[in-house]
Amino acid sequence: MLWYKSWLETRWRFVIGLVLLMFSACGTVLAYPRVVALLSAAPRAEVRGEIGRQIREGVELARDYRGYVWSQWFRQNLMQMWTFFAVLLASGSVLSQTSGGGTVFTLSLPASRNRLIGVRAATGLAELLVLAFVPSLLIPLLSPVVGQSYSVSDALVHGACLFIAGAAFFSLAFLLSTVFSDLWRPLLMACSAAIVLSLCGQVFPGVSRYGIFRVMNGEVYFRGGGLPWLGLLASVALSMAMLYGATRNIARQDF
Amino acid sequence: MADAFVIETSDLRKNYGGVEALRGLSLQVPGGSICGFLGRNGAGKTTTIKILLGMARPAGGHARVFGRAADAPEASVEIRRRTGFVSDDKDLYDYMTVDAMIRFTAAFYPRWRADLEQRYLRKFELPLDRKVGALSRGTRTKLALLLALCRGADLLILDEATSGLDPAMTEEVLQALVAHVASEEMTVFFSSHQIAEVDQIADHVAIIDRGRAVVAGALDDLRESFRCIQLVFDGDAPAPSFRAPGVVRVRRKGRVLTVLSSAGAERVLDEARALNPVSVDVIPVTLKEIFLETVTAED
Repeated sequence: MLWYKSWLETRWRFVIGLVLLMFSACGTVLAYPRVVALLSAAPRAEVRGEIGRQIREGVELARDYRGYVWSQWFRQNLMQMWTFFAVLLASGSVLSQTSGGGTVFTLSLPASRNRLIGVRAATGLAELLVLAFVPSLLIPLLSPVVGQSYSVSDALVHGACLFIAGAAFFSLAFLLSTVFSDLWRPLLMACSAAIVLSLCGQVFPGVSRYGIFRVMNGEVYFRGGGLPWLGLLASVALSMAMLYGATRNIARQDF
Repeated sequence: MADAFVIETSDLRKNYGGVEALRGLSLQVPGGSICGFLGRNGAGKTTTIKILLGMARPAGGHARVFGRAADAPEASVEIRRRTGFVSDDKDLYDYMTVDAMIRFTAAFYPRWRADLEQRYLRKFELPLDRKVGALSRGTRTKLALLLALCRGADLLILDEATSGLDPAMTEEVLQALVAHVASEEMTVFFSSHQIAEVDQIADHVAIIDRGRAVVAGALDDLRESFRCIQLVFDGDAPAPSFRAPGVVRVRRKGRVLTVLSSAGAERVLDEARALNPVSVDVIPVTLKEIFLETVTAED
């Protein structure tokens, strides 16, 4: 029944996230013909520097449907929106007032704190798994509508990279939710961390090679280099450390 | 179970920042009793209950429920499995319906009493399909009580269960509680600052003040042992220092000297007669007077 309670507490955030991501996936696929039509104007743009390089790279990637999907969906829309919902789903944790009241009632039940927090984390991660895979699998499903095809295995691999590496943001917000009792501080702090990391990657391109977002979007796999095992393992270790920290934090708290 | 102590605390201490919430609380609640836990606001009642249920950890001393250490995580889960609890703010899940709240709670208790659930649903007239957040305070209290009573618990802990209820609702809740305890073998430990309701249903009482137990025992024994001895003198009353054990407070007002004793009147009377009063009266003491005299004794 703790699963049911966690589901009730997070279902609206999850459903809104799922609907938005599915709309975004549909939009990404259906916009492809217009993007192709605009590509002829793109070479005229002469922007220098890092931004110019990124624009030129985006244009080049869009000439190929697989490159377009990776660039627009897995590297941008999905990764940004999914990260936000990962943070949102973790914020306002199991034993905070934002969980819809009943903290003292929950603690009076014959369930250990580890179980309470474990079920809440597992529910959030399961929802994130759905948010990573279901909209991504819409891409191969809808691609024939615009006369293209996209590999299901590519969608699964990118979805897996996003989920495994991106769980670090969920874990960060989850840990912060055991420190702060409100919804907003964990949400804003974890979002700020994501934005700072993203900006660092843009300002210092050399650093972005080792950044978490590069693991999340599966760039190495896209460019034919296989799965980013080291990055994935490091992300899992980081997530587990933060979730463990959250359980220890809850275990020693007075309510 | 009837002879064992279901709840035992010894020199229990708890600090919140620089504030001492409990300062060496020692308490024993016999099995099968209805123990009223009295104290002023901020006396440490809720802190004690939270420690007993594993929601807060003591800074010192020991708390045991069913003979198990309340601060040991595994033991605490077992304690909670055998305990029904109603918090002072009737903290429930606002987003669940009454029916979902009952189903959710029942799933945690293998000894859940479906027969009692049906009985209290009818008695309390609870709307199954309404959200908990939309319930009135009285109905919410009834739901919280149902959730506590149907657990098949050996111990019921109520923290200011009737706070905020009107007198009619309070009476209804108390009557339901008394009827339940009369039909089920269980121990009840309920905190309150409403002396009348403790007097109405409790057979044991513990009075806490500033984090320490100042009075504890069977209510009949307390009524028997507490005596007010009133001495009237010809002139101004003297200011003696009584050596008799159990003297809680001595008050002088004009020609009248009033002594409150927690150990009967005899020893005080022996000393009082040596003061040559013109009259001596021994007056029984109510629970309210015991409470007021003991919790204000240190003021």
